[in-house]
Amino acid sequence: MLETIDLTKYFNGTVALDRVTLRVEPGEIYCLLGANGAGKTTLINVFLNFLEPTAGEARINGLDVTRHALETKKFVAYIPEQVMLYGVLSGLENLGYFAALATGECLPRARLVELLATAGLDGGAADKRVSAYSKGMRQKVGIAIAMAKGARALLLDEPTAGLDPKAANEFSQLLRKAKDNGVAILTTTHDLFHAKQTGTRIGIMKQGRLVANLKGDEFSHTDLEQLYIQHMTDGMKP
Amino acid sequence: MSRLELVIRQEFRILSADRTIWIVCAILLALIGYSLQSGMTRISRQEAVAAEMLDKQAKADAPLMAQLKRIQAGEERPKPFANPADPSNMGSSLGVRTAYMPAAPLAPAAVGQSDLFPDQFKVTYRSKVYFIYDTAIENPWNLLSGNIDLAFVIIYLFPLMIFALNYNLLSAEREQGTLRMLMSQPLNLAALLAGKIAVRASALLGLAVLVPAATLSAARPVLFETLAWWSALVLAYGAFWFACVVFVNAFGKSSAVNAVALIGSWVVLVLIVPVVLNVAVSLAAPVPSRTEMAARTRVITTEVLNRYAHELRVDYQYVAKPEVLVPKDGKIEVPSRMRAFYHMQRDVDAEIQPTIDRFELQLAKQNALARALGILSPAAVAYEGMTALAGTGGRRYAHFMDQVETFHQAWKAFFIPKIDAGTAITAADFDLMPDYTWTEEDAPVVRRHAVQGVLQVLVPAVILIGIGAWRLRRFSAV
Amino acid sequence: MAILLILTSMAVGWQRQREASAEQQAAQELDYRDWLNQDIRHPHDAAHQGMHVFKPAPTLSIVDPGISRYAGTTVWLQAHRQSDLKFRPAQDATGLQRFGDFSAAWVLQILVPLLVIVFGFNAFAGEREQGTLRQTLSLGVPAWRLLWGKALALGAIIGTLLIPAVIAAGFAVVLGAETGGRADAMIRLAWAAAGYAVYFGIIIYLVLGVSALTPSSRVSLIALIAFWIGTAVLAPRAASDLARRLHPTPAKKDFLAKMETDLSAEAERIWQEKFGVKAKWSPDLPLNKWGIALRVDDQLGYAVYRRHYDALWDTYERQQRVQEWAGLVVPLLALRSFSMGLAGTDFAHHRHFTEAAEEHRHLIQDLMSEDLVKHADTLDHQHFAYQAGKDLWKTVPQFQYRLPAAGWALRRNWPGLAVLTAGLILSFAFSAAAVSRLRVVQG
Repeated sequence: MLETIDLTKYFNGTVALDRVTLRVEPGEIYCLLGANGAGKTTLINVFLNFLEPTAGEARINGLDVTRHALETKKFVAYIPEQVMLYGVLSGLENLGYFAALATGECLPRARLVELLATAGLDGGAADKRVSAYSKGMRQKVGIAIAMAKGARALLLDEPTAGLDPKAANEFSQLLRKAKDNGVAILTTTHDLFHAKQTGTRIGIMKQGRLVANLKGDEFSHTDLEQLYIQHMTDGMKP
Repeated sequence: MSRLELVIRQEFRILSADRTIWIVCAILLALIGYSLQSGMTRISRQEAVAAEMLDKQAKADAPLMAQLKRIQAGEERPKPFANPADPSNMGSSLGVRTAYMPAAPLAPAAVGQSDLFPDQFKVTYRSKVYFIYDTAIENPWNLLSGNIDLAFVIIYLFPLMIFALNYNLLSAEREQGTLRMLMSQPLNLAALLAGKIAVRASALLGLAVLVPAATLSAARPVLFETLAWWSALVLAYGAFWFACVVFVNAFGKSSAVNAVALIGSWVVLVLIVPVVLNVAVSLAAPVPSRTEMAARTRVITTEVLNRYAHELRVDYQYVAKPEVLVPKDGKIEVPSRMRAFYHMQRDVDAEIQPTIDRFELQLAKQNALARALGILSPAAVAYEGMTALAGTGGRRYAHFMDQVETFHQAWKAFFIPKIDAGTAITAADFDLMPDYTWTEEDAPVVRRHAVQGVLQVLVPAVILIGIGAWRLRRFSAV
Repeated sequence: MAILLILTSMAVGWQRQREASAEQQAAQELDYRDWLNQDIRHPHDAAHQGMHVFKPAPTLSIVDPGISRYAGTTVWLQAHRQSDLKFRPAQDATGLQRFGDFSAAWVLQILVPLLVIVFGFNAFAGEREQGTLRQTLSLGVPAWRLLWGKALALGAIIGTLLIPAVIAAGFAVVLGAETGGRADAMIRLAWAAAGYAVYFGIIIYLVLGVSALTPSSRVSLIALIAFWIGTAVLAPRAASDLARRLHPTPAKKDFLAKMETDLSAEAERIWQEKFGVKAKWSPDLPLNKWGIALRVDDQLGYAVYRRHYDALWDTYERQQRVQEWAGLVVPLLALRSFSMGLAGTDFAHHRHFTEAAEEHRHLIQDLMSEDLVKHADTLDHQHFAYQAGKDLWKTVPQFQYRLPAAGWALRRNWPGLAVLTAGLILSFAFSAAAVSRLRVVQG
């Protein structure tokens, strides 16, 4: 569903992505771990055609993202680390706009309210200006947008960063539900616990290279942590 | 609903909530209102003066005819230099006609050259050098400073308002972080840009075109075609600046850089280039020296004075023989000095003509050059186009001078034979005297220039949008 | 770039002025020679031939052309009427002329403030944002010294840009001025430079004050650009509109009509008084009185013309006064009139020439009619048979016009300098107050 083949990206001579090859099948949650600047966000930007790869390909649903930019966007939903919305409008209005852009149809108000509720946003907040929302509330609107889209693939950038454990847990539950529906999910995260908890597959990126590609249930939490630190400190061969 | 329509609706909602668009539109409206009001006051004053002049002129003939009858009947003694029976008096100081150019329907919109060139000339058989260099009365300081007319508001200030609303079209979305959210949807960047521009353009261009159109057509007998060309020119000019906005935004720099780039381009294209072009045109196609013309005029006048010195030496007969002033059998004795006087006028006219022609040629060359170079500055082109449509441009004044010239010839052609033959003026002649009528410029000529103006503004706009569209393909949402 | 433009404009202007003044001088001499070489003829015909006089361009007009594009350059001194100066250069130009003249003054008045804004808008605001402001102030540097230092820095930038231009102007002035006029031109240039320096001071302190006052450099830039647009582009026109509303320029038709009515009324009265005739040139007037009659007619004309033109020109000067008062709020307006006044291209100088030319016209007419009174009137009824020759023509001197001295210009324009100085004090006070309340951190 989500696939990269030897994906490489250079920025002025520094390598951001170095022949990254990975694959996320429908019903899989792939957690990508790595330090800041390892290339996780760059990878997501390439999937969204925000950046052009120097070499290699990124594919969504079998289509090359650079050649089928608008089409591939129909299959994938994106929730960035900071969900930024239009502050002068309410959560509901923002959802209505982005959902309409996503699907090409204007959804009725009832449906929008339902989506926000499912995403976990407090009912009273839906009609308030987004400028008053917290980061978590904005993220919930982002989730609602993704749900409204009904996409077959999901790209998440540090989704649990800054969320308290309860919120993070709620979020993980939503993810699992989506996975059970056959959505292919790629998330980047620092949260080892969350990665082990939700991820079916785990990848570790270091300096643009995918240095580890593991199945989630092969390791325990502590094993994962040790493995991660080992990769990060010495140059353990992939 | 298409995605473009979605963007449009959203932008409208966002902009309405944000105060900027209301403030900018209010300022624009205030400026348009003020400039139109002062323009209409100015024109109504001008037209009142013209109406008064026409009125006086219409009433002037009757007393002269009455006086003529009384003189012919012997009831009144004619005054020597105010004798209606004498063609040399009727053709010069008494029967003077005023050639005038009425204010065009769109005149309140642009002052143009109307504060520099007169719109009325008193035509007599005296040589044209006596009146063609007249100027309007205005404080040179005011001429230097300029007016706040609608043309000024559109050309200088309107682009700034376009900038205020549009400088951060894409850069703001990027800086806010919403661009990522938008571009992760199947939305074409061009559609986003177009939608955002559509809302702002309809507000700004709508105000700039519709408010003057409504106001002027309600207040004055405006021809639909002229108004259509004026609106087209304003739209084209606005389109050019919107094209600049697209161009600058397409390069993907920050909002602050965009703002500086746009203000910079305004300073260059509206403030600096026209002024530099002015210098360039006057260097490349200089007008021959007026000092030389004055000298030439005086040389001719001197020669001519010498030529008729003999006739000028003859004293006025009427002092000794007052009956000379009364017409007899349709004949009257035109004093030798007066005949010499009119001969001198005729000769001066003929001999100065080549010099005048040379000047006109040079001025025409200058204007052609200015028109060609105008493509470098849409502001210059738009200004020229607006003044032309408002009827206050150089071309219409030149057309006016042509008509004054024609009338001058006709006037002379009527009186000269009478002076030469000593034929007295009769009451019937009052109907035969040439009347001045104004004909408007040829519509095809006006149309041609209007099209030229609009195209000269649109071509750079299209080029800028083209380059912008090409750059947009490399636009990064992050 | 700016310097290059200034230098080119001055070079072009200097070249033009040299040619024009050489031509004018030649034409003036030719004209006088033609006057002297007139055939034997009736003096009144000579009066009708009259003389042409040309307005010389002041040396500093290459720096600030002022109103010279909109003021006539040639006047014909002829009998019976006061003529307007003809041949305004703007009438021979294209519509582009109305955008303005490219001159050193224009660049200095309009573009240099923009430069100051660009270099100075983030003097304080930018440092605050970068955090360096807090560090500087924590070192114990008093805020006013910071202000002074930054002002000096900005001043130095402008200075380096402008020094070459000022030197070039100095050279042009020295080379271009006629001998005897050099000292005068240098004095004018020095005072004008002082005015510009004060103006730049106002701008510098204003920019620094705004930079200190505003919460962010973005707001500072927007505010300053808006101010610049308001003062450089909008204010001159708004002030001109205001001046015209307060003291309207009469319409030409009205002006001429009133003058005509006045003339006829005066003429009737005086002719009745002096000659007992009801109308001008009535057939009842004997030919042997025509000499006196011409003189009387001329004299009454002088008074009427003077009255009406003075009223018109006083209206112009009142309009200009309005603009100068507006200079308290918009320093550019005060500088504009000060600069023009010192360069010799303002309306006062133009009026000075026009009045001198008219005086000369009076001289010519009076000499001619005096001669007629002495010689033609004595011929009884053969008025036009009398002819005069070179002896009479020689009595009329050539028109020698001296441009007013620098002192004359200064006496008329010191209010402008006073307004500018007041502006400088206000601006300095403003920036000092803003800096004393300087917020050290972002927020």
